[in-house]
Amino acid sequence: MNGPVLSVRRLRVEFPRRRGTLVAVDDVSFDIARGEVLGVVGESGAGKTLTGNAVIGLLEPPGRIGGGDIRLDGLRIDNLSAEAMRHIRGKRIGMVFQDPLTSLNPLFRIGEQIVETIETHTNLRGAAARRRAIALLGEVGLPAAETRIDGYPHQFSGGMRQRVVVALALAADPELIIADEPTTALDVSVQAQIISLLKRLCHERGTAIMLITHDMGVIAEAADRVAVMYAGRIVEIGAVRDVISRPQHPYSVGLMGSIPKLDSDRDRLVQISGSMPRLTSIPPGCPFHPRCPRVFEPCARLRPELMAHAQSQVACWLYDKAPAAEAAQ
Amino acid sequence: MSVEPVRGFGFSAQRRWFADLLDSDIVYSFWQSKVTVVAALVTLIIVLGAALAPWVAPHDPFDLKTLSLLDSHLPPVWQKGGDARFLLGTDDQGRDILSTILYGSRLSLAVGLMSVAFAAALGIALGLIAGYAGGAVDTLIMRAADVQLTFPAILIALLIDGTAHALFGQYTTDSVTIWVLVLAIGLSFWVQYARTVRGMTFVEKNKDYVLAAHLIGIRPSLILARHILPNVIGPVLVIVTINLALAIILEATLSFLGVGLPPTQPSLGTMIRIGNNFLFAGEWWIAIFPGFTLAALALSVNLLGDWLRDALNPKLR
Amino acid sequence: MTAAPLVGVDNLSRVFDVSRPWLDRVTENLPRQHLVAAANVTFSIKRRETFGLVGESGSGKSTVARMVVGLIPPSGGNVVFDGQSMTDRAQRAGRQKIRRRIQMVFQDPYASLDPRWRAFDIVAEPIRAFALADSRSAARARVGELLRLVGLDPVDGAKYPHEFSGGQRQRIAIARALASQPDFIACDEPTSALDVSVQAQVLNLMRDLQDRLGLTYLLISHNLAVVRHMASSVGVMYLGRIVEIAPSKELFRNPCHPYTRMLLAAVPQLDAALPKREPVEGEVPNPLDPPKGCPFHPRCAHANARCRAELPRLIERGSSAVSCHAVEEGRI
Repeated sequence: MNGPVLSVRRLRVEFPRRRGTLVAVDDVSFDIARGEVLGVVGESGAGKTLTGNAVIGLLEPPGRIGGGDIRLDGLRIDNLSAEAMRHIRGKRIGMVFQDPLTSLNPLFRIGEQIVETIETHTNLRGAAARRRAIALLGEVGLPAAETRIDGYPHQFSGGMRQRVVVALALAADPELIIADEPTTALDVSVQAQIISLLKRLCHERGTAIMLITHDMGVIAEAADRVAVMYAGRIVEIGAVRDVISRPQHPYSVGLMGSIPKLDSDRDRLVQISGSMPRLTSIPPGCPFHPRCPRVFEPCARLRPELMAHAQSQVACWLYDKAPAAEAAQ
Repeated sequence: MSVEPVRGFGFSAQRRWFADLLDSDIVYSFWQSKVTVVAALVTLIIVLGAALAPWVAPHDPFDLKTLSLLDSHLPPVWQKGGDARFLLGTDDQGRDILSTILYGSRLSLAVGLMSVAFAAALGIALGLIAGYAGGAVDTLIMRAADVQLTFPAILIALLIDGTAHALFGQYTTDSVTIWVLVLAIGLSFWVQYARTVRGMTFVEKNKDYVLAAHLIGIRPSLILARHILPNVIGPVLVIVTINLALAIILEATLSFLGVGLPPTQPSLGTMIRIGNNFLFAGEWWIAIFPGFTLAALALSVNLLGDWLRDALNPKLR
Repeated sequence: MTAAPLVGVDNLSRVFDVSRPWLDRVTENLPRQHLVAAANVTFSIKRRETFGLVGESGSGKSTVARMVVGLIPPSGGNVVFDGQSMTDRAQRAGRQKIRRRIQMVFQDPYASLDPRWRAFDIVAEPIRAFALADSRSAARARVGELLRLVGLDPVDGAKYPHEFSGGQRQRIAIARALASQPDFIACDEPTSALDVSVQAQVLNLMRDLQDRLGLTYLLISHNLAVVRHMASSVGVMYLGRIVEIAPSKELFRNPCHPYTRMLLAAVPQLDAALPKREPVEGEVPNPLDPPKGCPFHPRCAHANARCRAELPRLIERGSSAVSCHAVEEGRI
C-alpha cells in the first residue's frame, strides 16, 4: 500500500479512422499518491477527459487504448475484461461528472441509487445500507438527510445534486475518485462549497482524486499537484504552487498570463496566437512549436519528453541539458 | 486601408464543395453498402426508362391507330406463341406490355413525385407556421393533424377522390383526374412533414442566430424562409424518399380499385387491375410484369431512403 | 464632466407567465404562476464605457440585457437610448433607426451563427438589412474589412461556421455586430464558452475595438475576473434585483453588500494564499418562490427582522449604490 494509488505509464488513446489513426492521448504518464489531489488541466481538445475515461475504462468506441498501462494499486486495469472492470468501477474507483442532472437517474429516489451502489459493492444490505446512505449524505452536507433521502433528483438544486453525486462516488469507499469538471455547471458560490467538500473528504478518508478541469482557479484551490496537458500530451507537471506562480513551459506561461485576475489592474491579457491543433493536424516535434514565442531549432523536429527542472517536470527543449539542444543553440 | 474583394465564391467554391461531397463519409457509406448501390441502380433504370419512354419504348401503347386486336393476348417472346415484336407479350387490347410498363411507370412516378412534393410543401409550411407561432395557431394545426392521423391514408385518398368524382364526375376530362389524385394522395401524407418540421422549428427559433436576425429587424416570414427552413429541412429528405415509395403504392392501389387513373392513361396499378382479370385464364404476363416493376420501384426507393436515414444519423457512424 | 449617458435603464422589470396550460389549471385547481425575472432595475451607461452586470443563475442579467437591446418588451419601466425612449409606444417609428445602433453578441458561438450560411453572408446580413452598401461589391469590400478588423482572413468568408473554432466563431459574431456600425453592443457572456487562452484573445480584441471605434459595452458575465478586467462600472444582481452598483475598482476593493462580499470570497483564486473573507452559505433560492423581504436574507449573516419583512431600496452613497438594510443602518 506504499506505492501510488494510480500509476499511468505511456498511455495512448487512439481513434481508428478510414484514413488513418488519430492519436488523441499520446504517451501520457503520471502517478497519484494516496490522499493526493492531482489536477489535470488543459483546454478543450487537450485530451484530459479521454485520459480520465481511459482510466475508468469508459472509452467510447471507436476510441480505444492503443498502448501503455494503467495500474490501480499495482493491479493492471487497462486490459481487464468488461466484467472485471465493472467490479473495479464503483468499488475502487468512484466518478463525479460534470452535469449532476444526467449523473442521477431521474426516475429513482436518490436514496435508492445510493443504496444500490452500497449493496452492489459492500456487504451491507437493507436497513444497514440505508443507515450508511444517510450517514454519507450527512457527510456531504445535505441538510435533513433522513427525510431528503427519499427525494427525487429534480427536487434538489444543482449544488445539492452534485453533493449527492459525490456521496454516490464515495458510497463504496473507493481508493480513487475521478472528477471530470465537477464544478463547471454550478454557480460560483456553490462551486466553492463543492471544492472544499471534495478537499475535506479526500483528506479525511485518504482518497486520491484525479481532478480534470479547464478552470485553473479550481485547481489552485483544490489540487496538490497539477499536470498541464496540450494536444494529448503532458507538457508540465509539478506542485500546484510551483506551476502556477513559476510556470516553466511556454504554454503554461501563456495560460497563466491569459487568466484575468480579481486583484490586478486592467492591463492587456497575455495572448497566445493561434489555437490548439486539431487531431488531424498535430505538428511534428513539439506540438506547441508553431505558437511558441521561444521556439528554436530542435522544436520542429524532435519531440521533447518530460524532463526534471526546478521542482517540476517540463517537456520543453529549453530546459534540456543534453548536448543536442545546446549544439543547436 | 486597402480593401480587397472577398474571394472564394462562385465557381471555385462550388468545385471545392463538390470535391468535399464526393470524398465525404456519406458518399463513402453509399459505396460500402451493396444493397444500396443495387437499389440505386434499379431506381435509375426505371426512372430513365420512364423518362425516356417515347424514345426507348418499342411501341406507343396509347396510339390507337397502331393497336390491333389481332395482336392481343400474345405471351412473352420466350414462350410458345410469342412474337418478337412484343418482348413481354400483349394485353387484351393488343398493347405491348413492355411499352405500357415504360409509359405506365412514367405516370406512376409523376403522380408519386407530384403528390410527395405537394405533401412536403404543405406539411413544411404548416409545420413552420405552427412551430414559429406557437399558441393557438400551433394547437389548431396540430389537432387537425391528429384528427387526420386517425384515418388511414387510403381512406382519406378515397374520400377526396370519390367526392371529386361525385361532384365533377361528368365534367372532368381525364387530365383533371391526375390532379385530383395528386391532391388526394398529397393530403393524406402532409402530417408527418408538419410534425417533424414543427418540432425542429421549436428548437431552432430560440437559438441565438434567430435572435440575432430579430435584433436587426428582419421580418418573421424572412426569418422562417432564410434561417429556419434550411436548418430543419434535413430529416425531410429522408421522409420524402420513404414517402415516395408509399405514394407510388397508394396511387397503384387507388388505380387498382378503379378510382385512380383512367384506363386510357394506364399506370402500373391500372395495368395490374386489368391483368388481374386474366390471371386465372393463364395469361399471367399482363399482371405480373407491371406488378414486378412496381414492387422493384417501391422497394428500391425505400432502401435508398433507409440508407439516407442511416447515413445522416451521426450516432450510427 | 456630466455628459448624458448613452443608455439609461429606469425601473425596468419583467415578469414571465409560467402558469400551467389552462386545461391543467382548471382540472387541478392550480393558481397562475409568475416568474419575476427582473424588478426595479435602474442604471445608466456612459458613452465609450463598459458597464458590467454580474450575477449567478436566476439573477436576471440576461433578461435585462435582452430588454435593453429590445429583444423582449419590458413589463414595466423604461429604456432610454441616446435620449430616445425605446419603450414608449408613440416613438416606435423612430425605432428602426435606433436598431442599427444597438447590437448584441451572444454566449454560445455554436448557436449564434446560422450553420447553413457562409461567414460572408452572416456578416453581410446587417449591411443588407440596413441598406448600408450600394452594391454587392461594396458589401463584399465592407465584409472583408470587418473580417480583417476582427483578426480573420477575408478569404475565410467563404467557409461555413462548422469549419471554424469556437474563438473564431465568436470573432465572426463580433464582426456581424460591427457590421451595422453600432454605438452600443450588449455582450451576453461572450467568452464563457471559450477556453481561457481564446478568451484572452477575444477580450483583448473587444478592448481594441472599443478604443478604435468608440464603442459602448454592456457586459453580462458570471465571471467576476472578466468583469473586473473589462468594466469600469459594475452592477451586481441577485434574484432579479440590483443589490449594488459601483465603479469597478471600488466594488472589488471595498464591496459593501453582503452578497457581493460572498461572491468575491467564493471566486477560486489563483493565489490561494489570500485569506478568505466570508464563508459561503446556501444556494440561490427558486425564483418562482423568492423569500419575503430582502431576497438574500436566508443566506445573510447580518439579517434582522426588518430584512425578513421589508424589501430594501437602492440607496446612493457617493459614486455607488447599495440595496441593503444593514448597510443603510450602519451595521456593516
